[in-house]
Amino acid sequence: MKILIIGNSAASTAAIEAIRKYDKKSSIVQFSDETYPLYSRCLASYHISGKVNDRTILYRHAGFHKEMNVDLHAGIRVAEVDPKNQQIMCENRETYDYEKLLISTGSSPKIPDNIKKDIKGIFQLRTIENALAIKSYLSNVKNAVIVGGGLIGMRIAEALSICGLKVTVIIRSNRVLSQMIDLQAARIIQKALEANNIEVLTQTDITEIVSKNKRIAAVKTDQGQIINCELLVVAKGVSANTGLIASTDIKKQWGIITDENMRTNYKNVFAAGDVAETYDIVTEQHTVNALWTCAVQQGFITGYNIAGRPKAYNGSLGMNSLNFFKTSLISYGINSPKDESEYKILVDMKPDQNIYKKIVIKDNRIKGIILVGKIGNAGLLLSLLQNQSDISSFKDELLSDFFNYGTLLKYMGRSELKKYYDA
Amino acid sequence: MKKIYCQINKCLSCHSCEIACAIAHSKSKKLSTAINEDPLPKQLIRVEYIDESGEICNKRSIAVQCRQCEDPRCLEACITGGIYMDKESGRIMIEHERCVGCWSCIMVCPFGVIVQYEGSSKATKCDLCPSEEIPPCVRACPTKALIYCEKEEIKTGHLEY
Repeated sequence: MKILIIGNSAASTAAIEAIRKYDKKSSIVQFSDETYPLYSRCLASYHISGKVNDRTILYRHAGFHKEMNVDLHAGIRVAEVDPKNQQIMCENRETYDYEKLLISTGSSPKIPDNIKKDIKGIFQLRTIENALAIKSYLSNVKNAVIVGGGLIGMRIAEALSICGLKVTVIIRSNRVLSQMIDLQAARIIQKALEANNIEVLTQTDITEIVSKNKRIAAVKTDQGQIINCELLVVAKGVSANTGLIASTDIKKQWGIITDENMRTNYKNVFAAGDVAETYDIVTEQHTVNALWTCAVQQGFITGYNIAGRPKAYNGSLGMNSLNFFKTSLISYGINSPKDESEYKILVDMKPDQNIYKKIVIKDNRIKGIILVGKIGNAGLLLSLLQNQSDISSFKDELLSDFFNYGTLLKYMGRSELKKYYDA
Repeated sequence: MKKIYCQINKCLSCHSCEIACAIAHSKSKKLSTAINEDPLPKQLIRVEYIDESGEICNKRSIAVQCRQCEDPRCLEACITGGIYMDKESGRIMIEHERCVGCWSCIMVCPFGVIVQYEGSSKATKCDLCPSEEIPPCVRACPTKALIYCEKEEIKTGHLEY
């Protein structure tokens, strides 16, 4: 069988490993528009701060593709997919046939229109190339502005602060990480950021970029501030890289629409990772959860299905973990619902210790979780959320520091738990 | 592969396994000096109560540590590639040099057995003490509630998961 994979990151790596578990023979041809050896994109900001180096940023060892018997075409961008003729065309006009295709082209940063690209000192952070570009620009930079308060924006802020820069984060919403956490948790994170030379301006937007000799000199905000800076990083979220299917009838909405086997509307075309739109267990809607963990899971599922071992994906969900200057945070699902009346909300707060726990429940099922400070049993709560288990008999124990596997054994019994963990 | 299993009705929640584990992960490897180490050595096994009510003899508890899952979610979630399955032994290992302390593994571990250490900058967990023939926690268990064996050898009453 001829298998073709577009992309070289989390989803494609997992797919390759899953395929090769069962199928050592089929040919796998892979395309990547990058030339850097397989690395972890999530670590790009850590490369700037020096927490990882050229070696530890690599996601797999250097001989990975050879060991997996994958013919990797690095630095080749795929321009078009032709699902009717089972073919792809590269930008260099070369075409390749496939019997099964995986599209795992990831996503790209969104750049707002009012940010001009011809001024020096304006960056985005997605790839190692971006990270190296920022790093080599830092020598004359003392002040940096970051637009966007999501996870990537926060990670860049952290990295630049470690590099000794004065960092200002400009956020349109009323808090940091507004897609991930509520105001209460955001306050704790914001406090940690501010203690580390990072200023956070909420409910603020950039209106103008001031440049001098084609280099960024300052930004003006809609609140009337002028913030001097020599570096601006734009982190306003990502959008799925679906350009290569634009002229096909492969269905897309936010991303390429996939079914429970990660198939598109073509039986032999799969999509996984940031480019794929999947069912979200919590919101019960189709969406793109552009997260490393989801990408790996989707990659594995795809790989098994490509190798003829049918496996279903029970869906993605929003989940994030982070560690800013030793403040730990994990969040899942819908944890700051707009209309709280439909939900039962459990909260434990110890502001003096920077501990905050919140569990959002609807019809005795967990829909969302925030854990700040104490995160050790997060995964246990996640399994209750993923399985949409009825938690009515032990609701009062969920926030306890002693809520653990033993507690689950008590209330759910071993046979029930075994089902869970076998799934 | 050999794993650690715990027989619930034999576990007295004496915490001997926790102490043995912490000593094994201390710098000095001796109780008398380990208790003065800063930071205190972490134990990677934890006694958890299933039933705390009633008489002492009716209390039930288990000692839980990394279950060495066949499809480890921590390995899937690790953004660095630093969690891997050792090809020879099948053990799930963490290459600590790679760990950036992002807590993705803690986010997904369904047993809650991954631990933050080094001043909350890195993740660690039970690796079954590869240099030991029998893990120290198992050796320390006074009632032999903890056993170290192949899955096929476990008797009823032992915690499989």
